Amino acid sequence: MQLFFQDLVNGVLAGGILAVAALGFSLVWGILNIINLAHGTFIMLGAYITWQLFTSFHLDPFLSVPIAFAIMYGFGYVLQRGLINQVVRAPILATFLLTFGLSLLLVNLALIVWTGDTRAVSPAYSGANFTVAGVTVPWTKLATLVAALLITALMHVWLVRSKLGRAIRAMAMDVGAAQLAGVRVAHVYAVTFGLGAGLAGAAGALLSLSYSLNPSMGEPFLIKSFVVCVLGGLGSVQGALVGGLVYGIVESFASQLDVTVLGQHLSGSGLQDVIALVVLLVVLVARPTGIMGRAAA
Amino acid sequence: MLRALRLLFAVTASVAIVGGAALSADAADQTIVFGSAVSLTGSLAKEGKLTQEGYDFWKDYVNARGGIRVGKKTYKVDIKYYDDESKPANAAQLAERLIDQDHVNFILGPYGSGTAFTVAQLVERKKIPMVEGNGAAEKIFNQGFRYSFAVLSPARRYLEGVIDLALHQKPRPQTLAISAASDAFSLEVQAGAVDYAQAHGLKVVYNNKYPETATDVSSVISAIKASNPDLILNAGHLQDALLVHKGLKEQNVQAKLYGYSVGPDTPDFTTALGKDANYVFGGAQWSESVKYHADRAGFYRTAPEYAKAFAAVYHHRPDYHNAESTATCLAFQYAIENAGTLDPEKVRDALSKLDVTTFYGLLKFDSRGLNVYKPMVTNQIQNGKLVTVWPAGLAAAKPQYPTPPWAQR
Repeated sequence: MQLFFQDLVNGVLAGGILAVAALGFSLVWGILNIINLAHGTFIMLGAYITWQLFTSFHLDPFLSVPIAFAIMYGFGYVLQRGLINQVVRAPILATFLLTFGLSLLLVNLALIVWTGDTRAVSPAYSGANFTVAGVTVPWTKLATLVAALLITALMHVWLVRSKLGRAIRAMAMDVGAAQLAGVRVAHVYAVTFGLGAGLAGAAGALLSLSYSLNPSMGEPFLIKSFVVCVLGGLGSVQGALVGGLVYGIVESFASQLDVTVLGQHLSGSGLQDVIALVVLLVVLVARPTGIMGRAAA
Repeated sequence: MLRALRLLFAVTASVAIVGGAALSADAADQTIVFGSAVSLTGSLAKEGKLTQEGYDFWKDYVNARGGIRVGKKTYKVDIKYYDDESKPANAAQLAERLIDQDHVNFILGPYGSGTAFTVAQLVERKKIPMVEGNGAAEKIFNQGFRYSFAVLSPARRYLEGVIDLALHQKPRPQTLAISAASDAFSLEVQAGAVDYAQAHGLKVVYNNKYPETATDVSSVISAIKASNPDLILNAGHLQDALLVHKGLKEQNVQAKLYGYSVGPDTPDFTTALGKDANYVFGGAQWSESVKYHADRAGFYRTAPEYAKAFAAVYHHRPDYHNAESTATCLAFQYAIENAGTLDPEKVRDALSKLDVTTFYGLLKFDSRGLNVYKPMVTNQIQNGKLVTVWPAGLAAAKPQYPTPPWAQR
């Protein structure tokens, strides 16, 4: 029973980061209709920004979160206006090619700048933990979850309340109508893409505490972002949050399995991914728009 | 007009190609060309670079001293590299290009078991010998291949030394937990460790794997903690070692010993973890403190001599990836010298009969092409420094055991 609660806590803690990682991906996909294959690379850049600030200036990784967000936001904004905007109306293959190429380029640039050495951000307090009713909770992961929830909540409030946020949501519903109502499409697209990159940067900063860094670290996060997005429902803040948590918890419990089926010994590993994807399938069959997604208008 | 132009172009192009081929055949007369697809970009870029350094170090040494004697002639050596971008499928394709288009004489292996496996299949078809020093999965050598040889000890033996060492300590450990990443190499390491532990009376209380791309292993750690083992082992690569060791601290998992198949040997491990890296054990193919004495002149005869010369060139101490890569080249050099010819078939036969001790240990292959004769060494990080602690005959220091609580490391 104790292990059950420990797994639940582990799952929630892991899910919080996945939610932030997927949120940016979800916004860009839902609003720009671009499946950004460079999203994992943006997460990697956020992590390296944090590592660099930590190593050069001893800056606490949690203080790097807003910095990584800001730098990646600026990078994303410029990238969208200068490059991605060229393919916004192009067939999906063109956006795939462009963002994949971009990702290759950035990974190899990172390899030149930071080399292939594996790095880690380990502040003095890393690994500190406390125990409640037999369940051990690491402080850094708890703080990461709180930060993740905070970022998600801020994003939600901003999208609902602010003028720009409403413009973004309006564009998600109907670009033509939004344009007629005076929304500056090019600017709003760039802001959205910037937010996507910024959120990836923030996720990277948070991840740097528990995960080790190398230029190709983003790949698994790209795939997980994709699943979380589809699971929770596209383009919505709640969707990414719920998707992230569900994915985190499912993965956590799946890794505990140890069964023999048809004479084949199956344990955690093979099943962890399989079960996560089966859950995805079930959700897609039962609710094609994702857990929190609304039916298309 | 257009047609005439095209014809002209075709003729010039083919003249150029033929000329080029003639030229390279000419150059090949005085040079033995080795080819290698290594990972220079992508997730294995770091290991790929270590491999390349090990190869180049040998090449420069040999060329500076005139070259390799083959029969009555002396040949310079050259190595042609391609970047496989850390993708096994690319490695085989590039090796094919090295053989078919670049006409290299022999193949030096890539980095990693997955990649080495694809290249092994290719050299088998092309009947060009390959020696590799960076793919330890036995799977590669259980296919009946004739043209692939590995200078390194097989994966199953990576953690045997750690277990063996633990069994000689007091208090004697009773239980063991082992997790593994699910790639070919790590699973073999895990299977080997479990078999060895059980044969020696240890109870395996946790034995499970997680996906290669896992980004969070908290639940694996929780289960290990719940099984309350004396020894905690992990079969994986550097990434896994870091992820697992950080996780063990986060959940305050206390054991008598922590051992990793790959990781502690890389300076990155100590840099990344600081004090938490202390007391950790790792299996290694080679270390600077091994006490072999080479029985042939013509290269550095001991590990310290090799390490010193290597560090002078590359400005870092050689780790075992460097050493096993250099040993890969030495295997070829001695086999070619023994064969007295560059004929691929004869060099292959000479490789299969090779039996020579080098700074790296014994180079000798069983009928599958696997070097089962060289033992592994076990290192421990003591006070931020990596020292060899097992087997006792090669040890530079005594193992520190049991491991104190996290706060006191």
